[in-house]
Amino acid sequence: MAIAIAVNGVSMEYKTPKGTTHVLDNVSYEVQDGHFVSIVGPSGVGKTTLLRLLTGLAQPTAGEILVRGKRISSSPDDLAVVLQDYTRSLMPWLSVEKNIALPLKNQKLTKAERKERITASLAEVGLEGAESKYPWQLSGGMQQRVSIARALAVRPSILVMDEPFASVDAQTRFDLEDLVLKVRDDFGITTLMVTHDIDEAVYLSDEIVVLQGKPAKVRDVVKVDIPFPRSQMETRNDARFADLRTHVYGMVRGLE
Amino acid sequence: MRLLNSRIIRFLVGIWLPILLIWWWWTWSADSVDPFFPPLSAIWEQFKFNWIWQYVPIHVFPSLRNLFAGYFIGIFAGVTLGALLGANPRVSRYFEPVIDFLRSIPPVATVPVFILFFGLDAQMRIAAVAVAACFPTLLSTMQGFRATDPTLLDTGKVFRLTPFQMMWKVRVPNASPIIWSGLQVSLQIAFVVTIASEILGSGFGIGAFTTISIDSFMILDAWTGVVLLGLLGFALNVIFDLVERWSLRWYIGQKKLAS
Ligand SMILES: Nc1ncnc2c1ncn2[C@@H]1O[C@H](COP(=O)(O)OP(=O)(O)O)[C@@H](O)[C@H]1O
Ligand SMILES: [Mg+2]
Repeated sequence: MAIAIAVNGVSMEYKTPKGTTHVLDNVSYEVQDGHFVSIVGPSGVGKTTLLRLLTGLAQPTAGEILVRGKRISSSPDDLAVVLQDYTRSLMPWLSVEKNIALPLKNQKLTKAERKERITASLAEVGLEGAESKYPWQLSGGMQQRVSIARALAVRPSILVMDEPFASVDAQTRFDLEDLVLKVRDDFGITTLMVTHDIDEAVYLSDEIVVLQGKPAKVRDVVKVDIPFPRSQMETRNDARFADLRTHVYGMVRGLE
Repeated sequence: MRLLNSRIIRFLVGIWLPILLIWWWWTWSADSVDPFFPPLSAIWEQFKFNWIWQYVPIHVFPSLRNLFAGYFIGIFAGVTLGALLGANPRVSRYFEPVIDFLRSIPPVATVPVFILFFGLDAQMRIAAVAVAACFPTLLSTMQGFRATDPTLLDTGKVFRLTPFQMMWKVRVPNASPIIWSGLQVSLQIAFVVTIASEILGSGFGIGAFTTISIDSFMILDAWTGVVLLGLLGFALNVIFDLVERWSLRWYIGQKKLAS
């Protein structure tokens, strides 16, 4: 199978007036095409940092990141992003429709095609007819759906998300988790998600990358051998689910 | 319905004092024989004669043209420069003392300097208005740009927005609540400078008309000029408020929801 993302020996240091913070140390892993991969680790370990490197928002101090074999220097075309803080990543001055349309303006699409994409993306996330609403008129969960729709509308082959469901309530969270699984099925999209919620990582992923330590290294890559389709009711009560989450939890906590 | 009611109430609350003042002026001046304070009724008759519409083309149109030309040039420059400086704090530090110095000069006092450069043409008046209008917008834009949320900029970058989109679809709208307050001050200053610039060496414009009337003891005419300026300034502010509220409806709506 082809490799969508390759992280090769990536290290990252932040230079601050107080000195240098070494955040990532020689991190390497590969994401297979079509896989759902989660990155977990304790708070402050460097998950967001890694994601910023992957999306070209920052450059590693050592190593390289390849997206479909090409070394990235800025945000790769093929990749769309959903950030944690939807209130600050959706533009409050644009309607839902215009928020989604903004990145599409630079793709060679006719007006009708663009409209088509917006309608289809909103339908995919279950927000038909919300085009003319402003983001702040929607609930948190709905806003995050808009973020997902915006990402999908550019038809990326890779979707990257930073703690996308951390600021919504539990029920909405379950709904959104099932939504991203559906999206993955519908589009065969490669998905990379950062989360601090280990249950969520086990529920969604094919593979979990565990970051641990200061500076952070890849502690382990755990294969989640629970078959798809998964369901909130059954998968979370599966014995294998319990085993895996205990295992991952132990590593994140540095107990294993 | 409640919205409508509250609007009507606000209008009624706002209108009674002006009505009272006009009534007071009207009755107080009714029997006036003082040539400098003619009866309001006489001013009103003369006002209708002068400004509906006989002198509008030769005096109101030039003033409005200078005002709008100068204002729009000024705020365009103000937003552009303010954006560049606000987005590059390291560069802006070198310019801030100069800007602070220039904006401290009362704009009306700069008119003679513009006469040196441009003579007594309309260009001089437009240039003076433009420069005066530039500063409040420049400063508010700089301030608005400094506070840009990094998440917003990251979002723009990961969706590969062009620098143009970054500027006009992300940074400017984000700063727009603050920019609008600068635009309003700019409009008020632009109006003052427009009229003041006509006092020197011009036969046309409301400012010129009023000055010439006083100089030739046409007191009634001068009064109609003053009343016209008041009405015009008021109308400009009302229109400005409407445009601002329309443009910031997202911001107003969001704030209402949060409160
Ligand atoms: N721009 C920055 N400058 C300096 N240090 C930073 C910066 N961003 C993050 N860090 C530091 O890097 C470490 C990892 O942060 P982050 O990647 O946000 O962790 P996580 O997302 O796993 O919680 C933290 O110790 C944080 O203080
Ligand atoms: Mg983080």
